[in-house]
Amino acid sequence: MDKHSLVSVVDDDESVRESLPDLLKEFGFAVQSFKSGEEFLASRYLDQTKCVILDIAMPGMSGFDVQRELTGRNRPIPVVFITAQRDENVWSNRLRDNAVACLLKPFSDTDLLHAIRTALRME
Amino acid sequence: MDEQDKHPGEEVKRLQRCINDLVSLLALPALWSGGDASRIARTLMDVLQRLLQLDLIYVQINDPTSDAPVELARLAQFPVTSLQAREIGAELHGLLGDDSQKWPSRSQRCFRDKNISITPQRLGLEGEIGMVVLGSERSDFPKQTEELLLGVAANQAVMALHEARRRSEQKRLADELDLRVVQRTAELAAAGEQLKLQVGLLDLIPVATWTIRPDGTPDFINQKWLEYTGQSVDYVLSEPQAWIAAVHPDDREVALTSYWEGIRYGRDFAVETRFRRVQDGTYRWHLNRAVALRDAEGKIIKFVGTSTDIEDLKQSQETLRGTEAELAKMTRVMTVGQLTASIAHEVNQPLSGIITNAGTCLRMLDADPPNIAGARETARRTIRDGNRASEVIARLRALFSRRQATTEPVDLNEAAKEVVALLLSKLQRDGVILRCELADDLPLVAGDRVQLQQVIMNLLQNGSDAMIGLEDRSRRMLIQTERDETDQVRLNVQDSGIGLNPQTANRLFDAFYTTKDGGMGIGLSISQWIVENHQGRIWAQANDGPGATFSFSIPSGGRMASQLNSVRNPAASNSRANLKDF
Repeated sequence: MDKHSLVSVVDDDESVRESLPDLLKEFGFAVQSFKSGEEFLASRYLDQTKCVILDIAMPGMSGFDVQRELTGRNRPIPVVFITAQRDENVWSNRLRDNAVACLLKPFSDTDLLHAIRTALRME
Repeated sequence: MDEQDKHPGEEVKRLQRCINDLVSLLALPALWSGGDASRIARTLMDVLQRLLQLDLIYVQINDPTSDAPVELARLAQFPVTSLQAREIGAELHGLLGDDSQKWPSRSQRCFRDKNISITPQRLGLEGEIGMVVLGSERSDFPKQTEELLLGVAANQAVMALHEARRRSEQKRLADELDLRVVQRTAELAAAGEQLKLQVGLLDLIPVATWTIRPDGTPDFINQKWLEYTGQSVDYVLSEPQAWIAAVHPDDREVALTSYWEGIRYGRDFAVETRFRRVQDGTYRWHLNRAVALRDAEGKIIKFVGTSTDIEDLKQSQETLRGTEAELAKMTRVMTVGQLTASIAHEVNQPLSGIITNAGTCLRMLDADPPNIAGARETARRTIRDGNRASEVIARLRALFSRRQATTEPVDLNEAAKEVVALLLSKLQRDGVILRCELADDLPLVAGDRVQLQQVIMNLLQNGSDAMIGLEDRSRRMLIQTERDETDQVRLNVQDSGIGLNPQTANRLFDAFYTTKDGGMGIGLSISQWIVENHQGRIWAQANDGPGATFSFSIPSGGRMASQLNSVRNPAASNSRANLKDF
């Protein structure tokens, strides 16, 4: 596992975009954050991203939309979903293809690290 | 003929002949009695022809039942057709003048190339019966004796015609009477049938039926009731209150009170009682209703009543009541479920930041060397997110602190903003773009804030649901508050969804009506109930473009609300809700 693998964070919540990159950097990853799925898909970091942390509920493209788009573009970047929504029906059947985990906010730093490691191993 | 005057023997013969003729004329009634006008006229012509050897006889008899008179004629003793008779009549009018009343009693005229003496004789004093016209080629016609014979014959004919007319009138009256009797008999028979049918119906209709005299004694009770209760007619009619034996003991007092008050005050009455069914001994609820029948003066003739079995209805009402209670409970549970999910989301969002930041902070401090500046920054963010979480909790507590419906001044803008904040993440998840246009100068309304927020939440959720599956256009929703011309405060929720089906639009607010899979169809009905409890109204209309707009309006003010309107903080309402504030 490359310590400096690029992990991208996509969340419309600013506090997540502030806090999560710092933690990921503490873990030793390179981090880019995006406030929407559209911005992430259009960015030049897309190709370098080894793992993407995707919020599910976002205005515009949802996390699922982004996942579908990645699959559609044949870019199966491993996905770790994060959500504050407790409705299991929403995400349990979405954990397929390149999705590795769905972390319920608030999640612990070790759970996050574990999920990212799983994702990077998969890649 | 003057020779007769010259020879006394001839004169005697002539007079004898005349007397014979008169005798035969006086015998005429026996001949024509019972005949009709035409027959009398023909007999008259026969007789006159035989007595007077005439060249023309024309008889016209007026028919009281018709404009056209009966016309008969003989020419040189040969009867002619009725058409020819009419022609002769017309010719005579041509010769003697239009008005037959003014014809001379005797005259010489050229009739069909012959000179004839014509004498008309009216039938009846004024000729109202008709007339006889005689003509002869003899220039001395009519002689005195001929005139006499003609007069007598005419009188006899008049009497016969009178008699005939009277008889025909009598017959007509008799016929008419007969006809009326037949008709009346038929009517009576039909009425009798009808009556029999009605009495039969009363006996057979599947509802217990009875009639009561003004004094309260039953005088009719139908088969249905007798079969149901097992009582006999004799028993029921034996005394006014015999029927009470069939009533459940607990219902007797109320039944008798209602019964006798109705009788005493002469008014309709209705009372629910349980009657014992004789077959199985069970008591079943009946609705008993009686109406007072009155005569023209308003005096009561009798009471007519029915006892309808409403047991099944009562049972289903009970069931329905139970179902309604169950549904209300489910609604509460559902609402609580939805709210819980929203609350969890609102609280978890800042908690997530707190935990991430705290974790980051610890790692920075644990590093070698410790990243003090980074740790300080993450600790600062932790505090900020903690405050944010606490704000969410405070807002939720404000939203749900009251369980009872209360009346208080409500700022609909604030109420709407709180609901929007709760629903925002769900709306985002559903891909809905919500815009808020909240009026600056919105007056307060008096009402229950939580209830009104339930309405707003329901409208927003419906709008969002209406746009599920929308792929060809963006899922836009607008929530708007405004003050309308009549000082009502109005809230609109406009969506760009599937819109309204005009055929079912009027059922939108019916309970249990839904177009959504898995919907219960009670949201709008409850919303309507709430809004109407606030003296407001709720309605839906199709947009000019796609989608629909649901609105409710509530009167502004209430004394308390207007007092508060004057002192409230003007900063309380922003023209646009800044959604990120929540």
